[in-house]
Amino acid sequence: MGLKAYMNDIVEAVVTTAKGMRITARYGVDPREEVTLQYPEERWEIPEGYRGFLHNDIKTCTACTMCVKTCPVDCISLESVRGADKRMVLASYDINIGRCMYCGLCVEVCPPKSLKHTSGYEMASVTRGELILHFIAEDAAEIKARVARQVAEAAAKAEAQAAAKAAEVPSSGTAEVAKAAEAAKAGAQAGPKAAEVPPSGTAEAAGAQASAKTAEVPLSGTKAPDVSSESAKAPVVEPKAAKEGENKE
Amino acid sequence: MEALAISLVNAVPLLAGVPLWAVTLLLMVVVAAVILVFALTFEGVGSLVLRKVAGDIQARIGPNRVGPNGMLQFLADGVKLVLKEDLIPANADRLLFKLAPYFAFVGSFAAFVVVPFGVGLIAADLNIGIYYVMAVTSLVVIGVLLAGWSSNNKWALLGGMRAAAQIVSYEIPVGMALIPAVLIAGSLSLQDIVRSQSGLLGIFGWNLFHNPFTFFSFFLYFTAAQAETNQTPFDLPEAESELVSGYNVEYSGIRFGLFFLSEFGDMFIVATLSTACFLGGWNVPFFNAGTLPWIWGNLFSLGVFLAKAFTMVLIMMWVRWTLPRLRVDQLMRMAWKYLVPLTFVNLLGVSLWLLVFKGKGIPAMIASLFG
Repeated sequence: MGLKAYMNDIVEAVVTTAKGMRITARYGVDPREEVTLQYPEERWEIPEGYRGFLHNDIKTCTACTMCVKTCPVDCISLESVRGADKRMVLASYDINIGRCMYCGLCVEVCPPKSLKHTSGYEMASVTRGELILHFIAEDAAEIKARVARQVAEAAAKAEAQAAAKAAEVPSSGTAEVAKAAEAAKAGAQAGPKAAEVPPSGTAEAAGAQASAKTAEVPLSGTKAPDVSSESAKAPVVEPKAAKEGENKE
Repeated sequence: MEALAISLVNAVPLLAGVPLWAVTLLLMVVVAAVILVFALTFEGVGSLVLRKVAGDIQARIGPNRVGPNGMLQFLADGVKLVLKEDLIPANADRLLFKLAPYFAFVGSFAAFVVVPFGVGLIAADLNIGIYYVMAVTSLVVIGVLLAGWSSNNKWALLGGMRAAAQIVSYEIPVGMALIPAVLIAGSLSLQDIVRSQSGLLGIFGWNLFHNPFTFFSFFLYFTAAQAETNQTPFDLPEAESELVSGYNVEYSGIRFGLFFLSEFGDMFIVATLSTACFLGGWNVPFFNAGTLPWIWGNLFSLGVFLAKAFTMVLIMMWVRWTLPRLRVDQLMRMAWKYLVPLTFVNLLGVSLWLLVFKGKGIPAMIASLFG
């Protein structure tokens, strides 16, 4: 190594050090360069069309099972029974959010647009079972039993009415049609009642649980803004169901 | 220290019955405690500042959880280090393992004794000041080597070996780069060196501007000293990415804390020496702190000295977060092929300058031109 190269080395060392120090000084002095987001205190603004946790508005859900069929990872499961008014009544609607890959196919196919992505992305749980969102708090078997009872009642009523009509003398067809409509109305009234479900006690408990959870972690993002209070309570996990879910896993 | 004890005995009649050696000893202990408190505080706050500077430079925020704006982070760190379990590996050499951190810490702390904090603020104005610092900070290498060897861990051993090779190599350019200041002052005592830079020339009285050779000497010293204290561009003994954590990999709790403290202590010593030898120590332009009343003069000079020293520490941190780590062969090449010859040439240059110009620096000559 000649003297020239030797001196060049020294000059290069000094120059590159100075260059580097100029850059670090610029970053060190400029406060705008801080890119850290102080996460729990500050948050990203959630972009439009963000696919967060799924939420099903069970009031408008028709239990068509399109979402179940289209889900590539089988994270949605629902049970339904035919109600007295021939409509499907949801007995249970569960989404395993731990398995969901947020592809959005279920939201796209949903005919009544009841299934939606919320902006929620924060959820922590100790067990995997807690990741299963139950949108209907009441036990599926109870709902089924009740709907079956209503169906039976309606059938009995209709039978009785038919019998009465038969006894009443075969009158004009219009009266019969009106009666049938009445029966259907009764059934329709029973339908929403079944959907609304939880007996007041458990509903309150669930509400308390929900509020406790929201107080613990400000999960404001998980709820869609237009969701009514009842449906907000729905996804709260009941311990028993959670355990079952865990066992399933 | 004895003079101070005599004046104290004279001032306080109550102490007349106490033997002089007892008063002197007591004073020594008090002074040592004060310096220890200062050193520990500096090391704690220094670690916080280091992390804050790192955060700023890396476009982060840095510690901001403990206390307002993270200001109490170092207390939390200290408490954590003290409370953590002090593990000793099963196959370690227990005696040496326990001894090593003390060597490292004592090596760096003992150098605080001759730091010229102010006009009269120096624990012991040894007449071999610089030589003492060089000698006593070499204890650190023994501590590091012991730690590496006694841990019975290959990473630790490699780190210890590297540290030994590095510190021994860079000791030479460090010494050679400091000698110009000694030559100009004609004394090894740090107080004398600082006083030699006073006078009415202001900033131009500093050794940094004495002549071109001393100017380079400062930068050579600063570079070599960074290497000697294992600062980042030269932190091969604890290269995280290759040696996990180097010589202190097996240490935990307060023993690790001692290594950590010694590292920051070394940093301050380097800043101190560069301030005292090249940046005029506690001298400020056009003002002599020695003319003030004793207390105010000392406080003023203490502030000036600390401001300069902390600025140097900041620059060291700045360099630390700028440059990437060298390779081992690059490190050795830099020491033996670049720094050692350059410092020798520099020393020769300064010596010749002092011989030819009768010890006058460029600013002094210019000043004499104007009468």
